[in-house]
Amino acid sequence: MDFQEFKKAVIAASEEYGVADYEIYYASEESTSVGIFRHEVNRFESGLSGGVSYRAIVNGRMGYASTERLEADEAQRLVRCAADNALNLETDEKEFLVEGGRIYRTPEKKPFVPPTSEELLEKALAGQEALYAADPLVIDGCETEAGSFRRTVSIVNSRGLDLSHTVENAVLVSAAVVSDGKEMQDAYEIKTGILRDISETELAGKAAAAAKSKLGAAVAPTGSYPVVFAPKAFSSLLSTFSPVFSAESVRRGLSRLKDSEGKEIASSAVTLVDDPFYPESPAPMPFDAEGTPAHTKKVVEKGVLQTLLYNLKTAAAMGKETTGNASRASYASSVEIRPFTFYLAPGEFSEEELLLKAGEGVYIDFLGGLHAGANPISGDFSLQSAGFMIRDGKKAEAVKSFTVAGNFFDLLRGITAVSDKVEYRGMGSVTTFASPSVLVEGLTVAGK
Amino acid sequence: MIKREICERVLARAASTGADYAELFVENTLNHAVNMVADKVNAITDAVISGAGVRVFKGLRSVTASTVDLSEEGLLRCASSAASALGEGKAEIEISLTERLFGDVHPVRIVPSSVPNKRKIAILKEGYFAARDYDPAIRQVTGSLLSFDHNILIATSEGLYAEDRQIRTRLVIQAVAEKNGETQTGGCRPGRRMGLEMFDGLIDPRETGIHAARQALVMAGAGYCPAGVMPVAIGNGFGGVIFHEACGHSLEASSVAYGMSEFTGKLGQKIANEKVTAIDDGTIPNAWGSINIDDEGTPARKNVLIENGVLKSYMIDKMGARRMHMDPTGSARKQSYSFTTTSRMTNTYIANGTDRNEDILSSIEYGLYAKEMGGGSVNPATGEFNFAVQEGYLIRDGKVAEPVRGASLVGKGSDVIQKIDMVGTDLDMGQGMCGSSSGSIPTNVGQPMIRVSSITVGGR
Repeated sequence: MDFQEFKKAVIAASEEYGVADYEIYYASEESTSVGIFRHEVNRFESGLSGGVSYRAIVNGRMGYASTERLEADEAQRLVRCAADNALNLETDEKEFLVEGGRIYRTPEKKPFVPPTSEELLEKALAGQEALYAADPLVIDGCETEAGSFRRTVSIVNSRGLDLSHTVENAVLVSAAVVSDGKEMQDAYEIKTGILRDISETELAGKAAAAAKSKLGAAVAPTGSYPVVFAPKAFSSLLSTFSPVFSAESVRRGLSRLKDSEGKEIASSAVTLVDDPFYPESPAPMPFDAEGTPAHTKKVVEKGVLQTLLYNLKTAAAMGKETTGNASRASYASSVEIRPFTFYLAPGEFSEEELLLKAGEGVYIDFLGGLHAGANPISGDFSLQSAGFMIRDGKKAEAVKSFTVAGNFFDLLRGITAVSDKVEYRGMGSVTTFASPSVLVEGLTVAGK
Repeated sequence: MIKREICERVLARAASTGADYAELFVENTLNHAVNMVADKVNAITDAVISGAGVRVFKGLRSVTASTVDLSEEGLLRCASSAASALGEGKAEIEISLTERLFGDVHPVRIVPSSVPNKRKIAILKEGYFAARDYDPAIRQVTGSLLSFDHNILIATSEGLYAEDRQIRTRLVIQAVAEKNGETQTGGCRPGRRMGLEMFDGLIDPRETGIHAARQALVMAGAGYCPAGVMPVAIGNGFGGVIFHEACGHSLEASSVAYGMSEFTGKLGQKIANEKVTAIDDGTIPNAWGSINIDDEGTPARKNVLIENGVLKSYMIDKMGARRMHMDPTGSARKQSYSFTTTSRMTNTYIANGTDRNEDILSSIEYGLYAKEMGGGSVNPATGEFNFAVQEGYLIRDGKVAEPVRGASLVGKGSDVIQKIDMVGTDLDMGQGMCGSSSGSIPTNVGQPMIRVSSITVGGR
C-alpha cells in the first residue's frame, strides 16, 4: 500500500492498542544516476526507497519502530513493537510531540524539472569527454556521473501536526585520474543544480588540475607550523567535531563545552552559523525532525558560544528552548541533534593574504580518516593530510603522507584569520558543512 | 520470500532487452538495538528493511534498479526500468531457476528476535555497569546491544535460486574517563555471526565493559604521542586493520579491474615481505564477517591473497570477473538491496608467523607499541592510508614504557607491506564495519602481533 493508506492503518492500529500520543515519520527517495567509464556507460542505477518510523509515548517514555514494508499487518507490528520498546525504557526526561498549527518559512525554490535518463546520459558522457580533454596527463580510470534525486519527508502526529517537504536536485560528479608515468593521483569535483547550467568543462578542469597538482608530492618535513586549511579540509573538520555543539553531548559529558554558553571558546575571528535556508543548499528545510520550525542561528559569534544546539527533550531537561535542531541520521534512527548547514562565517582576507600571513607553513587541502583519527569527546585529532608547503607567503611544492595533529578546542582559539569566501560542497543532505580558508597558528605536522 | 515462478518472470522481464545476465536480490532484514547512556536504557529501536534490487549486465555495462515494492507488479516494474535502461533489444537468454541449498555453517541457537527486551537489557547492563563501576574516574558510559537478522534471496539467469539468513549479534561499550580535566575514551565491540548464545561462555559482557573502562583510564593518564618516523609493533586482533586498509582494499576488483590499484597486474609477483601471508576467508564458522553465499550467490571461500609475500589472488565480484577475465571469488557484498554489489572483504587476516611477541618488542630500541588500533581509510588508487591508534605505548630499550594518546599511522600500502618484517603467533580477530561504495558491511580484521620496521607516526 502507499504511505497515505499505510498512515491510516497505523492510526487505526494506534487506536486499537490504546496509544494516544504518537508520530509517524515518512522519508522517501527516488534517484537515478548514470556512470561513464572509458567513454562508455558502465552503470545505470535507479532506486525507489522509503520507510516509516513510528514513535509513541507510552507511560511517559518514547518507543520507536520502523519499517519499509508498508502492509496492514506491519502497521499492527509497528505499534505493538514501539509500545513494548517504550515500556522497557528507564529514562526520566519528559517526552514531547510538536503541536500542529505552527507557522513555517517556505524555502525559496528555484523551478526544477527532473532530467530524463537521456539527459543524464548525455551530460555524463559530455563530462567524461571534458575530462579527457582537460589535460594530456588524464588517463583511463576517470569516472563521471550524472544523477538526480527527489526526497520527501512527511511528519504526522496525534497533536494535529501534518507536514511534508520535498527537495529535488541534480548532480554532476567529475573524478579525474592523472599519471605522469611514475605515479597516479586522483581528485573529484561535485556540482549540484540544474544540469544544463553546470559547466562540465569547468568541473573537469578543476578536477584534473587538482589531481595534477598532487603529482610528485614529497613527504612533508616534521615540525610545528602555521597551517592554512582549504575550505573543504576545514569543512571536514567542522563536520567531525560538530557533535561538540550538541546540548545532548554536553549534558552527557561527551563534549568539553559544559557550562560554556555565553563564554569565549574561540578566537574573535570565529563566527559559526547554523542556517537551514543556506542560499546554496540544495536541500533547505522548513522544519526539523520533530516538526519544530527551523531558523538560522549564530552558534558562536566572534568567539563567544551563543547557544548549543537543542531538540525538545534536551532543551526541557536543561531548562532551555529548542533551537529546532532535532535530527534523524536516517528515518529509522531515533531523534538526535544536528545542525542544518553549519558554516564558519567569512572573514576579511583573501586566501592569498592568509598565505602571506602564514609566511612559512603548510597548506592543507585534504584530511583523511576523520572517522578514526579524530575524537569529538576529547577534541584530539591526528589526521592524514595532503596539500602544499607555504614558502615565502606562497603555495610551493605539493606534500602528502603526513599528519596534522592537535586538539579541536585549542584549534578554535588558535584561528588567527579567516578568508572572505565560503565554499559550499553539499550534495543534498540536510546536514552539511561549509567554510572559508582558515589560518591556524602552530600545529604539529609529522612527516619525514 | 518470493516464489520461484515470480522470480523467473521478473528475471525474464529484466533480460527482455538483450541482457546477457540478470539477477534479483530480495531482502527482508530486522535490526534491533537497545541503547544505554547515563546508567539508563534510553532508546530501543526496531527497524525492518525490505526491498529488492534487479541487476542486468550486457558485456561490461551494468544496470541496477531497486524498489521497496515487493509485489509482483512492483518487481516487474523495477525489472522493466532496468531492461529499458539497458537499451532496445530482444531477449537472448532463457530463464529457468533451480532451487539450491547451500547449507549453513554458522549455526544459531538463540534467534535474537524471539527473545524479549528484558533479557537483552540484562546482558547489556552486565557489560555497562562493569565499565561504570570500574573506577571513579569513569565519568560516562554508553552501551548498545545490536541484533541483525538479514534474510536474502538471490535468483540469477544462471539458474540459481537460493536464500540465506544471516544473524549477527554485537555488544558495544564505550567509556569516558576524566583525569586532571582531560577526557579520553575507550571501547570494546565484540560481534559474531550468531545469536544471543554469543554470551553463553564465548563473550563475557563484563569483560567487554572492563576492557573499555581500562582503556579509557589508561589513555586519560597518557601524554601526547611524539611525531616522527619510527618502528612500530602492532598488537593482534583489530591491529589487522593495517592490512585491511593498507592492502586489502587495493586487492578488491572494484579498484583492480579499473586499473585503479597499485596492485593491478601484479599477480605472481612479490609485493610484500616474505613474512607476510594474508587470507580473506568468508567460511570461518560464526565469524562476524562470514557468509554462506555472497550477494551474487557465489559460495563463500577461503582466498589466499598473499603467500609468503607473493600476490596470489584478488577479491572479485561478477562484474570485476568480466573485466579481469577471472572467476568470482565469493567476495560480492553490499549493505542492502538498494546498493550496487561490488567486491568486498569478509574475514581478512595476516596468518601466524614464527616470531615471539617478546622478541618483537625487544627488537625495538625506540618506537611505538600500538596495542589496539582504531579505524582507518585508504585511497586504493594511490595506496595512501591512515589509521588511528586507540591504545598506544612508547617502547624504550625494547620495553613497553608509558602510554601515549592521539597517535595515528600514515603511509603507502605497497611500501608498508614490504616493511612488515616480524610476524608473531597469537593470531586473533577484531570486528569492524567496513564502508565502501556498496555500503557498510560487517568484516573481521585480524593478525598476530607484527613489527613494521619504519612508518610515519602522527602525534604532537
